[in-house]
Amino acid sequence: MICWRCHEPVQGAVCVGCGSIQPPRPGVDLFAMFGLPRRYHIDTDEIDRAWRAISRKVHPDRFVARPAVERRMSLQWTASLNEARRALRDPIRRAWFLATGVPNPPERSGGLLDPDFLEEVFELQAQASTDPEAGRARADVIHAALMGSLEEIFRRWEAGEGSLDAVEGCLARLGMLSRTRAQL
Amino acid sequence: MANIGIDLGTTHSLVATVFAGKARCLLDGGQRALVPSAVRYDTTGVPRAVGEAALTAASDPDGITFTSVKRFMGRSPADVADEAALFHYPLAEDERVIRFTVGEREITPVEISSFVLRFLHARAEEVLLGRPGGAVITVPAYFDDAQRQATRDAARIAGITVLRLLAEPTAAALAYGLERCAEGQRVVVYDLGGGTFDVSILELHEGVFQVLSTAGDTHLGGDDFDRALAGLLREQAGLGALSGISARALVRAAQVAKEALSDTETTTLKVELDGRRIEAGLDRGTFERLIHPLIARTGAACRQALSDAGLTPEDIDEVVLVGGSTRVPAVRAYVGELFGRAPHTGLDPDQVVALGAAIQADILSGNSETDTLLVDVVPLSLGMETVGGVVERIIPRTSAIPATATQTFTTHVDGQTGVDIHVVQGERELVRDCRSLARFTLSGLPPMAAGVPRVRVEFTVDADGILRVAATEELTATTAAIDVQPSYGLSDDEIEQMLDDAIDNAEDDIDTRLLIEARVQGEQILGHITAAMQADAALLEGDEQAHFQAVADDLKAALSSSDRQRILQLGERLDEITAGFAQRRIERDLALAIGGKAAAEVAEKLGLSPS
Repeated sequence: MICWRCHEPVQGAVCVGCGSIQPPRPGVDLFAMFGLPRRYHIDTDEIDRAWRAISRKVHPDRFVARPAVERRMSLQWTASLNEARRALRDPIRRAWFLATGVPNPPERSGGLLDPDFLEEVFELQAQASTDPEAGRARADVIHAALMGSLEEIFRRWEAGEGSLDAVEGCLARLGMLSRTRAQL
Repeated sequence: MANIGIDLGTTHSLVATVFAGKARCLLDGGQRALVPSAVRYDTTGVPRAVGEAALTAASDPDGITFTSVKRFMGRSPADVADEAALFHYPLAEDERVIRFTVGEREITPVEISSFVLRFLHARAEEVLLGRPGGAVITVPAYFDDAQRQATRDAARIAGITVLRLLAEPTAAALAYGLERCAEGQRVVVYDLGGGTFDVSILELHEGVFQVLSTAGDTHLGGDDFDRALAGLLREQAGLGALSGISARALVRAAQVAKEALSDTETTTLKVELDGRRIEAGLDRGTFERLIHPLIARTGAACRQALSDAGLTPEDIDEVVLVGGSTRVPAVRAYVGELFGRAPHTGLDPDQVVALGAAIQADILSGNSETDTLLVDVVPLSLGMETVGGVVERIIPRTSAIPATATQTFTTHVDGQTGVDIHVVQGERELVRDCRSLARFTLSGLPPMAAGVPRVRVEFTVDADGILRVAATEELTATTAAIDVQPSYGLSDDEIEQMLDDAIDNAEDDIDTRLLIEARVQGEQILGHITAAMQADAALLEGDEQAHFQAVADDLKAALSSSDRQRILQLGERLDEITAGFAQRRIERDLALAIGGKAAAEVAEKLGLSPS
């Protein structure tokens, strides 16, 4: 990359030569943003440490006296950095990102749900209508099982075995479950 | 140019700056740091006095003194109807914006606050011998977008460059240097002012502060202690109905007695009421029993804050006291017991927030040696209305700011050419339970079948916690001509109008007004420098005398011309070249102050507490 101001080669967010902040690159990989490997199993403290180190360089507080264009870039940089941190710290959004390249569920994820699972949810709702406590407990058991299979898919993938094909279906089920549980 | 920190408080405001590595509050001629947040208007709606003078005039019938306007900032008329009645403020008929009617004029809380800010700014200019750079202004941690926007608008009207809006508890923690604490420390900031109580819990990670929870009571403070004490005396002395003036005198005497009891075990309250002299002995124990129920109410809010943060008192590492009412020993004891540790009391509790703001202002100047980075958070979730009046959360609360997030929506009706976007803030599921921040329409969409358009809405919260919203229809690249009109705020046009009004009430011609302003500023600078050069000729170095004089003469000549730009430029130039000289004077005065009495005045002006 070349610094937009002094035209010298630049690495990272801020040009070492002239101190100018570089425009944030759209579509950059969230993990790459923090210099972290693309993994589901990740220490959130590690994300926070990297987040703090980069924040110190790009935060608007560091650019108060710089030209307006740089202040604007600093705002964009930090805002997207903060959003990336939030996405990566959340295991569900982290999983969506690894599986689809976007850290949010797609608008219509209903098509990913299988009839067996939907039936299970209906049973759960029926049970909860007479015994909400038991319904919530059952939802928690299903939730734990789904999280377990998500962990397992990623564990194998990180070891170089298997694919992430089953991730989206698993996440869609988790989403449906948490919406259902919220209504109980 | 030094940056300043401003604590724009409900009852009092302060201004502070960092000088020689230490934060200090700037004092007036009477050595007072506190400026009552009060503005006096005459019967025609022209502002006449700010601060102490406005309070003194409060009982005169020919006009109105506004106090506690912070309670009205960024709120809707419906929100504050009760409050306005409490203060006997005449609310104008307006559904959107709060306006007080004074004579022919309608005055907004933003405008009133701008006069308090202007007053503080002028004090800074006087003490610092020149225009301050930018300002950090503090706001309560729970202030929503509209309230922050209103605060920033007030500063804009006052002509102040706002470097940052900072959460008050964060400022308090910064004043105590708690950012240097161990990793993961949790800090309680207990802020008991004259009329409001706030408690916040902060968590610290490597110089990054995050607000975990806030709670409080917007009608609880030291004024309630005074009223309770006055009530007791009235009962004991068998006083019947009192005139308004006597009732105020009694409350004032109660306040003096309360303050005395912070230092001594017993005191005598003396007051003259409707010609009767009253003297009553009072001991601390009686006072403490009297106010105990009031203090206990703060405890309920503290427990609420703890439970919201999912913490117990044992999880708290530090407790910071803010607000004059925390001087009361019973309050300190109560807080110490509640959290199981002695609170920090090293700094003047009235000054803590302003001192923290000054430290942040200094950090933002880039000259500071500290590497601290303060990261505030979004206090309440930001979202937008979707089908059925349900809130779709876009940026959840406690997200670090600046923050950004996008969400894609579609239409529900065939051939829809516009999409209404309603931005709300709050934690509740339904729009009607949240605060409405803004509404706008993305219009000009070509007719498409329902569900086809892809409307991408982007929320961006800047470093001051202020929100901007943009909307784009992605298939046709239609962008909303967004004029985010804060639901309860002032439009840009209204602010421009106030800016104009604020410059001068009488003059019509804007150029004339600006010229007058420039001249006044130029004359001030010239006056300061000329006086300083005469008083301290010995401190002038090299050819400074001649150099300063030449520029001063140019400025003097320019002042009699109508060349506004030249006046401004020369004024700034004179200010700039004499900065070193001004610094030497201050350093010399401080050195003298250590041993002698002569320069005490200067030290006081800089806010060094008299020792």
